[in-house]
Amino acid sequence: MADLQELYKAIVEGNLNVAKSITQEAMEEQIEPQVIINEHMSKAMQEIGKRFEEGKAFVPELLMSARAMKGALDIVKPHMAQSGTTSLGTVVIGTVKGDLHDIGKNLVASMLEGCGFKVVNLGSDISSDKFVAAVKEHHAQIVCLSALLTTTMHYMQKVIQALEEEGIRQQVKVMIGGAPVSEAFAHQIGADGYSENANAAVTLARTLVSA
Amino acid sequence: MTSRERVKTALNHQSPDRIPIDFGSTSVTGIHCKVVESLRDYYGLEKHPVRIIEPFQMLGEVEADLQEALGIDCVSVFGPRNMFDIDESQLHQQRTPWGQEVMIASGIDLTPDKEGDVYIYAKGDRTFPPSAVMPSNCYFIDAVERQHFVDDDQLKAEDNLEEYGSLSDEDLQHFVQASQKAAGTGKAVIASFGGTALGDVAFIPGMGLKDPKGVRNVSEWYMSTVMRKEFVHELFDKQTEIAIQNYSRLWQAIGNNVDVVFTCGTDFGTQNSQFCSLDTYRELWLPYHKRLNDWIHQHTTWKVFKHTCGAVVPIIPGLIEAGFDILNPVQINAKDMDSTFLKKEFGKDLTFWGGGIDTQRILPDGTPEEIRSHVLKQCEILGRDGGFIFNAVHNIQANVPIENVVALMNTLNELKTL
Repeated sequence: MADLQELYKAIVEGNLNVAKSITQEAMEEQIEPQVIINEHMSKAMQEIGKRFEEGKAFVPELLMSARAMKGALDIVKPHMAQSGTTSLGTVVIGTVKGDLHDIGKNLVASMLEGCGFKVVNLGSDISSDKFVAAVKEHHAQIVCLSALLTTTMHYMQKVIQALEEEGIRQQVKVMIGGAPVSEAFAHQIGADGYSENANAAVTLARTLVSA
Repeated sequence: MTSRERVKTALNHQSPDRIPIDFGSTSVTGIHCKVVESLRDYYGLEKHPVRIIEPFQMLGEVEADLQEALGIDCVSVFGPRNMFDIDESQLHQQRTPWGQEVMIASGIDLTPDKEGDVYIYAKGDRTFPPSAVMPSNCYFIDAVERQHFVDDDQLKAEDNLEEYGSLSDEDLQHFVQASQKAAGTGKAVIASFGGTALGDVAFIPGMGLKDPKGVRNVSEWYMSTVMRKEFVHELFDKQTEIAIQNYSRLWQAIGNNVDVVFTCGTDFGTQNSQFCSLDTYRELWLPYHKRLNDWIHQHTTWKVFKHTCGAVVPIIPGLIEAGFDILNPVQINAKDMDSTFLKKEFGKDLTFWGGGIDTQRILPDGTPEEIRSHVLKQCEILGRDGGFIFNAVHNIQANVPIENVVALMNTLNELKTL
């Protein structure tokens, strides 16, 4: 029988191959995707996120856990629709125009995905038009904007303006993150929230969708 | 005091006649070409296209006349080729996507494609996929990662050593001449000989290689520091061996025409954390950093400059143990990077080359008065008893309001008269 406690451990330790093989086994045994995600994957991602916040794990460890989680999730995904698994909400995420930095943004995307959100990761160097189009296409509840540069962070405001001009600002919550941005900057540009790291982003996203 | 004496006094942790200033001596202490042009205009200097001295970050040359206007004490020695392995001796005039005329290496064509993106090719060879891109609306260049599948059974340290080799006689000659010329200015000479940064993610993608092998994706590299430790050890060991051989020849040929060597720009900090623990630093990097630093200190008069961004308080004891003399850019707005604490705790062991002004909030968004009081405070804290070279936290970026940069420069002038 698939040892799901081992899946938890494999994700926390960033062991991709073990995570995949246990998940495969679990699928063959027809264990509910919801159980695997909520009881094991999500908890593992929360644990590594907690270790990161406590300074016991670092970006490399987080990347390895995210990779193990994604490997497992790819196996679970095809089974989700047929079992009627619902997500916590849909998140569109990207690094804004002119900025190619995406490691932190990808970690936030993985953490959200691992914790039960449907995530549409647009990549980096994303224009306001593309954010707007993705929000419409995927009926997103949350848009996450990332920037690492003081020269690009102000573009976040342009994305918010574009959402307003399209009349869809009220439908989505806007979260921002990245080295130079702050809570004060989020208020200044009219975003709904800021988070300092991937773990905090999940907490914020949960709060925003339940608000 | 000459500029050089001033810098050397500060590096020896004694008080110089005034705080020494650097803008433009390295790829991490420079000014974006757009701001260089505005500064030249402001000070009424001759109008001509700014020369790009480092195309990756589009840093402009701080020429002798601008150095004079800003009271700069340091000059650079750069290599004969840039990050894309393109010859820097042949220049041509180009217009940047933001409409500025610049002089840049001939192998770089700044014409945007129809999306507005500018692509750069390793060695200027367009028969291979681009190795870097300046996206539209961006003011500098970033790597295009070209990562083949990493087969751990086949992976060799040599795959990641392709760009590191013995210095050619021509390159050695370039450094000899450049150092001589730099030393003739009477300013402190900061050399970037290259090849010594261990695991710096700016170099990992191999932007100067047409078809890089090994670990070339930044995330894959970070994971390698956990899951491929033997590979990383072997790579660092061999790279350090090559570096010491090259440094031995450079020292014999150049000697004390150079004052400071910028050896490693690997970032160990993020805004709020680190990329690894102190234990991991000690295990994976310290033996190699220490080997090169010990060699430099035993054989040369050079001081060693270490750049690392971010919240690195937990790592600094390791950097001191490894024998670095200088820490840059002293990111004072990162977590726990309090200037008073840093000076008190580490000021006896390290010279702070940076930390003079916060560049994430104060310099781009502050008022001139905020800038003045912030700079005065930083200089008072970090400048006590030497051990401080004034520089911003990293390069001054494009689009920083010129009146803010001028407020910074005016404050430095004010300090000279105190």
